Amino acid sequence: MESTNKENRMTAPSKAPDRLDHFARFALPRKLWIEMAPLEQKFLQLSWKLHPDNFVNATEQERELSLQRSSEVNDAYRVLRDPVARVEYLLELEGARKEGEHKQQAPPELLEEVFELNESLDELREAKAAGGDLSTLKARLEAAQKNFQEKLGEVDEHLQVAAQQWDAAVEAKAGDNDRKAIMVRLNELLNRRSYIRNLVNNVAKELT
Amino acid sequence: MGRIVGIDLGTTNSLVAYTDPQTGAPQCIPGPSGSTLCPSVVSLDPDGSIIVGEPARRRLLTQSERSIYSVKRLMGRGVADIQNELKLFPFRIDSTSQNVIRIKLGDKLFTPPEISAFILRELKNWAEAFFGETVDRAVITVPAYFNDAQRQATKDAGKIASLEVLRLVNEPTAAALAYGLHEKQRGRVAVYDLGGGTFDISVLKLISTGEGDIYQVLSTNGDTHLGGDDIDNLMQSLIREKILHEHRVDVSAQPDLVQELRKALIASKHQLSEGDAARLRFELPNGAVFAYEFSRTEFESLLRPIVDRTMGPVKQALADAHLAPSEIDEVVLVGGTTRTPLIRSTVQEYFGRKPHTELNPDEVVALGAAVQANILDRGVKNMLLLDVTPLSLGIETYGGAVAKVIPRNSTIPASAQEMYTTGVDNQTGIDIHVLQGERELAKDCRSLARFTLKVPPAPAGLPRIEVRFLIDANGILQVAAKDLRNGQQHSVEVQPSYGISDTEIERMLEESIEYAEQDFSERQVIEARTESEAILVATQKASALPESTSLSTEERAAIDQSVAALKEAVAGNDYKLIRKRIDGLNQATTHLAELVMNGAVSTALEGRKLAEV
Repeated sequence: MESTNKENRMTAPSKAPDRLDHFARFALPRKLWIEMAPLEQKFLQLSWKLHPDNFVNATEQERELSLQRSSEVNDAYRVLRDPVARVEYLLELEGARKEGEHKQQAPPELLEEVFELNESLDELREAKAAGGDLSTLKARLEAAQKNFQEKLGEVDEHLQVAAQQWDAAVEAKAGDNDRKAIMVRLNELLNRRSYIRNLVNNVAKELT
Repeated sequence: MGRIVGIDLGTTNSLVAYTDPQTGAPQCIPGPSGSTLCPSVVSLDPDGSIIVGEPARRRLLTQSERSIYSVKRLMGRGVADIQNELKLFPFRIDSTSQNVIRIKLGDKLFTPPEISAFILRELKNWAEAFFGETVDRAVITVPAYFNDAQRQATKDAGKIASLEVLRLVNEPTAAALAYGLHEKQRGRVAVYDLGGGTFDISVLKLISTGEGDIYQVLSTNGDTHLGGDDIDNLMQSLIREKILHEHRVDVSAQPDLVQELRKALIASKHQLSEGDAARLRFELPNGAVFAYEFSRTEFESLLRPIVDRTMGPVKQALADAHLAPSEIDEVVLVGGTTRTPLIRSTVQEYFGRKPHTELNPDEVVALGAAVQANILDRGVKNMLLLDVTPLSLGIETYGGAVAKVIPRNSTIPASAQEMYTTGVDNQTGIDIHVLQGERELAKDCRSLARFTLKVPPAPAGLPRIEVRFLIDANGILQVAAKDLRNGQQHSVEVQPSYGISDTEIERMLEESIEYAEQDFSERQVIEARTESEAILVATQKASALPESTSLSTEERAAIDQSVAALKEAVAGNDYKLIRKRIDGLNQATTHLAELVMNGAVSTALEGRKLAEV
């Protein structure tokens, strides 16, 4: 996914001082559990105040500032309201994940099943090309798809548990090592999630 | 500062509207003919002047090589994009044009933004005549699914027409704004907008807050090349085939004949929105007559694939908003094509509720634009519109893949920061290619722009340049770059892949003002003719009334003479002469007007001209 000349955000100097991070923009601590209703309310409040529509007749400087601030509010809301994007962003912010990182290596315990799935996918493609009977193959793939969808659900549950651990660690003002261990776990889960999701999407594409 | 208006720059018709400062209600402004619809047709007169609207539409039949319609289909597109349209539309494209299309009218070349600017200028004239004041700013609507280049082209058109475009508003959003005001709805609303050339679906959430109403767009989808035009084209192919078969006449070889058939078929289409059949009678140049009866069933079988094509985007928009059809509280139909019963029933069936059609589907978008114009102009702060970008923004990465940096349906303004560095020592530039679209490979997405980031010579990996991609509230991309080592802003020269440069816009603006001067006399002639028509009809009516028998023979002769003189003037192009003859007829009919008035019950009409009685 990454370009050769694109560097990750983490090793770069900290962001411009006038730009708040997404949590700070909404006056939230860097925790992973966020109540949706107050978040939305805050989003609407900030939008009401900062939207460029309010500054059409203002100076160019004010218009520029409104554009920048309202885009930051929108960017922050987009990330914070999505539970997975929120974890990704937190890890990037804390330096525990490279921006755009999606490891495409199969998690070891899934290797065997992934191997089988890929074989079935190849067979289906061949059968499609040859115009053969697809029903048995399709049934097999559908079963595999269901299996991986269940695994996706499991990963999401694990993610939720790890997220709660993170929040507890923040609240307890836990030390760096404890935090790092949770972040490594979260990162692992994110990678596994993205891997399985890709699999499920690929199967869905072949089945339609 | 002049007045501000809302403009619906449509594929088939364009409209201009304003908000009454007293009542706060939006209203469409009629043109000289009294209609609020300005056909989006432009024609170049052999004398070099530009004709827009209804008179230009009539010329589609007689001077098809000097006239153009549906130019919206060409906005922000390159020649390679429109090969399919060229088969169906009699666009005459300059063969040397590539990324900006150049259209031939007579022997002159125009870009799509210039043609659109002629339409905008006409509407500006309508509004100025209506207010008696200058109009210098506008909110213009665009299909929600328009990409960056199409939006930029629309903004350019405004500039060329000497209008400051304060905001581009998405058409379905504008419609929701007009309806929201009208119906005081709250909840989740789906707007299904099938116009002449484009289809949009938007899902909105209407929220009441302590401070005012917020219209938040949750998702949008569509097809910028799907609309009533497509139905016309299908009917056209069918009938051409039949004419060729029965009469051995190839209609497509004769542009004027194509236009005439198109006109007849559109009339049939309108009939089929109300009745169960439409009779088509079409005279061929060889004197033969082609007659055909379109049944509702046959029409609907042509229409069905088009309606089906709209349902893909509808489902996607709902999925992106995480809503089921049953969770939509209100459905709104917009665009002339939604008058078709098949579309109404399909939409009703899918959402399980009767769609709103109370507002005139031709006017509702312009009305919404006028509401937004009023908000921006007067700082009326009781309403806020939060719209989204319809397409994902991406950057080409290694191997021709696309990394999405701003996903579709992000609330705008939206931005993304990307960090770049060099791969080899003393590298002086980094090439960046920005794209729009949902596909994974750059070649399948729409190229927006390419640019080279200039880098001061340094060891590989040392430079740190942050590039900010920002989609503004109009849905248009802005790019800025900053060298993080010294905090310096870099200027970024973005060369749009499809579009005209600022210098070209300046030149077009100057040329367009020249045309505007020619337009002025042309418009005066049209207005004078319209006025003549009114007084001629009034005179004829009054002369037939019993009161007219009291006129003397001399008076009667003077009237007849003035009528003949006016008719003669109307045939020419001298608007001053027409005005003079109108005054002459008014004088000749003073006594007649008095007689009619005395006969009338009310004396309140005293002192008025005959045409006003």
